Amino acid sequence: MVFFTVPVTYSQTTGTVRKMQKVPAGIYYPFFSGNNEKVNSFLMDETAVTNAEYLEFVKANPAWRKSQVKRIYADANYLRYWESDLEIGKNNRALLNSPVVYVSWFAAKAYCAWKNKKLPSVAQWEYAASAKPVNLKTGLTEYILAWNAQPNPKMLPNVKSTYKNIYSIYDMHGLIWEWTSDFNSYTGSVDSKGNGQEEFNNFCGAGGANVKNKKDYASFLRYSYRGSLKGNYCIANLGFRCIKNL
Amino acid sequence: MFTKNNFFLLALLLSFSFYSCKSNTGQSTADNKIDTVLTGTVTAELTVAPEVPKPLTYTSPKRVKVELTCVEKVMELSDSTQYTFWTFGGHVPGQFIRVRQGDLVDFTLKNAPDSKNSHSIDLHAVIGPGGGAEATNTAPGQATHFEFRALHPGLYVYHCATAPVPLHIANGMYGLILVEPQGGMPKVDREYYLMQGEFYTKNKFEAKGLQEFDEEKAMAENPDYVLFNGRVRSATGAKALPAKVGETVRLYVGNGGPNLISSFHPIGQIFTKVYMEGGSEINTDVQTTLVPAGGAAIAEMKMHVPEVINLVDHSIFRAFNKGAIAQIKVTGEENPAIFRKVKQ
Repeated sequence: MVFFTVPVTYSQTTGTVRKMQKVPAGIYYPFFSGNNEKVNSFLMDETAVTNAEYLEFVKANPAWRKSQVKRIYADANYLRYWESDLEIGKNNRALLNSPVVYVSWFAAKAYCAWKNKKLPSVAQWEYAASAKPVNLKTGLTEYILAWNAQPNPKMLPNVKSTYKNIYSIYDMHGLIWEWTSDFNSYTGSVDSKGNGQEEFNNFCGAGGANVKNKKDYASFLRYSYRGSLKGNYCIANLGFRCIKNL
Repeated sequence: MFTKNNFFLLALLLSFSFYSCKSNTGQSTADNKIDTVLTGTVTAELTVAPEVPKPLTYTSPKRVKVELTCVEKVMELSDSTQYTFWTFGGHVPGQFIRVRQGDLVDFTLKNAPDSKNSHSIDLHAVIGPGGGAEATNTAPGQATHFEFRALHPGLYVYHCATAPVPLHIANGMYGLILVEPQGGMPKVDREYYLMQGEFYTKNKFEAKGLQEFDEEKAMAENPDYVLFNGRVRSATGAKALPAKVGETVRLYVGNGGPNLISSFHPIGQIFTKVYMEGGSEINTDVQTTLVPAGGAAIAEMKMHVPEVINLVDHSIFRAFNKGAIAQIKVTGEENPAIFRKVKQ
């Protein structure tokens, strides 16, 4: 078994302060049948981490620059749209306030640690993401499926460009996919395919058996997506936000 | 004691039993010892419908490399109607794969970097977990890889098997893989690839603009579109499939569904041979053959007279109102001994 040690020496400066919102305690009802999970109250970044914020992180932490990062922590696509280690590039100016994407799980985890925060668990993320929108005309599931039916935009919109939920948290759906701490029952093994319970559930009975709501195609898509990930993957529509337990 | 009628009946029964003994031994050819010693590596030719890869020329099993890429893209559903299709290879149906019984298929599934969703593949020609699906849940920009032995000859459907499977199929993620028997397929003059599939949209048939998937209609199995090769008029008019009088045409017909069974019928023709359900059993002299959802058939016709053959799903409202028509345009000499229009 291989153990990965993520670089843990961080700069003292932790950059811009991202506003966090309180998610009250409640119950997470797992999409795949299982025991309901109590979620304690926690703080969540009100938006995904932006390119501007991530730039501060790599400036303070050279090990996470494009040219320095180790392939086991981030694949060759890491920050592929950035011009160089510390330059997002002239053509990407509009992206400074858009979510950083093409970042690995290891990188996202390191960023959150630098902020004295953590990645949300699937339970925390899903619980926060199920909160009611305050400024959407359609139902949430319909909204997500419509987003899903569109190819990725050429330029990723800025944060706060979609909708806000009752906790004043933005863009939980409709902008990017987001990393979670336990996205694929992560074991540290190089190849975890076929071992994750989520993955088993996805294929069992063509993904129809044992789920909370067989009509909830939006949730199916999200759980399938998580099941396809590995920790070093860097993908065009995958970013993250951080949380803090209270 | 035999009456004349009884005698005929007995003769008829005997002829049927002889016929069935000859044509169906009830034994799969995969039960026979098949040659599996590999003699080299080839890369499979992949084609876009209605084209079919050339018949295979090798006579012993190979390692066959196949690479398919999942692509999500906006394409035309009809002349002024668009849809965000999820595809294998950028087309609906997905690219046609042709291998031979005994081959070891070295399969790579890629997912395009700008895909929004993860995708996978279940090939019905595979014996193994999920038909390959468990080994291939592939994130955008990534690739997965597995190998399988093509044990059974026949025409098989492949499709995406990532949850929710019905949505992936309804968006166009299906295609065909042909496993030629060890002796190859008999030679014909032309081969074409047709695959039926339904589309469920929020708006009506041929509403203009980009259409959204309608989950309620899909669950009610009430499609707006029933199509061959993923588009209204994909193979009609100027795009009709050409053939000439005297030729034999073989159609590799699949049905991606997700819901409907096709009653596949050639208007103004009769199938000389149908490999029923794409398997090894051959029926002859067939007017309409069933193509199950997630199934296939191989159908052959001899072209006798110049005509336009409308290939339809004979659940006829689908052909009339929902787009289920493809055409073969046969050119050549009239043959009045077979057909002639008589003037009054």
